[in-house]
Amino acid sequence: MKLRSAISQVKGLQYIVESLQLQSSLGKRYLLDMPMMYQANEVNTELDLVNFVYSVIGGRKSGLISKIQTKLMQVRDIKGSVKNLKSNSILDDIELFEIKSFALISQEILNLQNEFEVSLIEIPNLNQLISIVDPENNRIPSFYIYDAYSSELASVRKEIKELKASIKLDPEMDLDSSLEALENKSEEIESEVRAQICEKLYLHANDLEKALNQIAHLDVIVAKALLADHMAFTRAQISDSGIEYKAMFHPQIKETLALSKRNFQAIDIKLSQEVCFITGANMAGKTVILKTLALCQYLLQFGFFVPAQSASISLVDRVLVSVGDDQSEQNGLSSFASEMVKINEMVEASFKRENILVLVDELARTTNPTEGRAIVNAVADIFNENQTLSVITTHYSGLNKACRKLRVKGLDKEIKQGEINKNNINDYMDYSLIEDDATKVPHEALRIAGILGINQQIIEKANKNLLN
Amino acid sequence: MPFIKEIEKYKSLSIVGLEKNTGKTECLNYVLSRLSGSTKQIALTSIGVDGENTDAVTQTHKPEIEVYEGMIFVTSELHYQKKKGVAEVLDVSTQSTSLGRLVTAKAKSSDKVMISGPANNAAIRDLISQMNRFNVDITLVDGALSRKSLGSPAVTDAMILATGAALSANIPQLVYKTNYTYDLISMKAVDEETKERLLPIQKGIWAIDDEENLIDLGIESVLLIEKAKDKLFKKGNRIFVNGAITDKFLNFLKVQKQIKDIEIIIRDFTRVFATPETYYAFIKRGGQIKVLQKTKLIAVCINPVSPDGYCLNSDELKQAMEDKLKLPVYNVRELV
Repeated sequence: MKLRSAISQVKGLQYIVESLQLQSSLGKRYLLDMPMMYQANEVNTELDLVNFVYSVIGGRKSGLISKIQTKLMQVRDIKGSVKNLKSNSILDDIELFEIKSFALISQEILNLQNEFEVSLIEIPNLNQLISIVDPENNRIPSFYIYDAYSSELASVRKEIKELKASIKLDPEMDLDSSLEALENKSEEIESEVRAQICEKLYLHANDLEKALNQIAHLDVIVAKALLADHMAFTRAQISDSGIEYKAMFHPQIKETLALSKRNFQAIDIKLSQEVCFITGANMAGKTVILKTLALCQYLLQFGFFVPAQSASISLVDRVLVSVGDDQSEQNGLSSFASEMVKINEMVEASFKRENILVLVDELARTTNPTEGRAIVNAVADIFNENQTLSVITTHYSGLNKACRKLRVKGLDKEIKQGEINKNNINDYMDYSLIEDDATKVPHEALRIAGILGINQQIIEKANKNLLN
Repeated sequence: MPFIKEIEKYKSLSIVGLEKNTGKTECLNYVLSRLSGSTKQIALTSIGVDGENTDAVTQTHKPEIEVYEGMIFVTSELHYQKKKGVAEVLDVSTQSTSLGRLVTAKAKSSDKVMISGPANNAAIRDLISQMNRFNVDITLVDGALSRKSLGSPAVTDAMILATGAALSANIPQLVYKTNYTYDLISMKAVDEETKERLLPIQKGIWAIDDEENLIDLGIESVLLIEKAKDKLFKKGNRIFVNGAITDKFLNFLKVQKQIKDIEIIIRDFTRVFATPETYYAFIKRGGQIKVLQKTKLIAVCINPVSPDGYCLNSDELKQAMEDKLKLPVYNVRELV
């Protein structure tokens, strides 16, 4: 899967990509074309590069990063010109100009990079190529068929100039035909020269293409490192099995809360190759945990740092998520039916013992509790038997005792009547997860509903019903 | 010619024809030839497409634009490929026009070039400011005064107007029409602060109340004024109109009892789509129109010959024009 298609499927990924400060359109294209990585060495190679830039930020050489970024800003995507060059066609002045100005910038970036004293990314040296398009050795990003290419061209151009001057002085003289002949000749020489230039450039086409790619990659790496610094992400260790986060947070929600001067409570979570239930009151952030787990997994496998204080993550081949907020009604399926179709896909992958991460929010919540509970336990059994790395959130009681359970603390504290309302409830909620072995789940729905200020009669009647 | 000295005072200058075949290109060529001896770095571009070999409308001969060695010109890829002379590519734009990307080049020999440029105001403004990168002192813009064009020559600091027999074959009529454009160009500008606040607004009709607040009146266009008469003066008499103002709109304003307090603000003089009679009637009643972008008219060029061959008495025309406009007037046919 490419990042381009992952963006539309994974909530929160779009926000991360938009927050990246890519300097060139080249970098943007490179980023979106990045494939998801499934091998530890691939991921680590990319993370090593990001980590190098990350470690430079704030240090003695951090000025180099902004210098490189300024250069990256000037880089144009010259894919078209490179393609024409590789197909051995004759390039026009505009294309040659593009190649020359790119090569000059590429060379400047290479020089800046050398100041790191560690070779970060291999950018081919384009000096030889530059000398072909810069015969006067000006090192200025501009191009035409210079006089320096051919002494014959230089003299013809001079003749044209002189002839034009004399025509101006004496328009009566019939010199138009000789002027035309000269102009034709100069054009002929120009195209000869152009053919020669392209022939020489052709030998460097692969280097040029590589430089284009590497510069784009550099743009992406720098942007990833700056993002990690800005959003306080960390480099995840890659583990063989299981997932563990310390102080994991959801970047977008954290930023939104920060805008109203509120804190996002980061949470710790540890998962192994089995099913894990997460229970907890409404508004306790269960769905956010699932979304963050999915986002982090994708971030890692696209070579990003992850939003946590520390993390140890095993790579998976697929992330399967059922959060129930997609528009399956449009396909004519009920919410229950579309959920079941998704669950079926997960279960089948589990049977095949595929290396997957499964995240299910409130499994079977749209049907009756008796059957719902039965479905939850059945699915959990299958995941456990096949050692599938999976998380299921639920409100149902009577969960399979053999399964691991985590509970969101929620409104644990003693709270005075009227102290909380719907505006400050988030401040009282303790989002951290604790191990829980009770078969019952917290019954806080009515309490929360009361805090949210819904009609008192509902709550009174519901409480009466519970007693009966 | 004295007005070359005047041109050198400005960063940008547009040359605008009041009608096709009023001698705009001749005037531009004259300015370019005179500036070719100047030590200033000159750049040349156009609003939209220009520089066709023959005039597409009337099929009359249309002189090409001569670019002199050392001058910078900006034109579309398509027209760049058609050029004859030698030129050095300095830049290629990332944005594209209908004729391809814009190429900035420096002429290495003097030759005729077809010039085409960006078609909207913001792009022309950007382009003029980008010319700083190439140490350009003066940017010349081949402008068009057309209702169809989104780009307005008013974005330049100064302007030369080309007028002539093609607009009217009757000297008093011609002077009257030219003078009307001159009066529009001379409309007062709003203060800098108001200008900066209004420039980014792209549509609608807005009021500025006594506390200087901007309020969207919720009227799409003055063309729909019939249905929104009640809304117009709700927030006061200072009104910013994004699009054009028409005869109907001015006539409506003219009959209001607070006419003397009404101040209409428009982008620039090209947004007045009204007959001179309506405009003058509005002004006479005490109404005011101000512009966000004001340009200075530095000279008027006249072409006494019309495309159908009619020729006006050049001295008489020049005299009549000078008397009325109090500006230097030149006959393009005599400019050498």
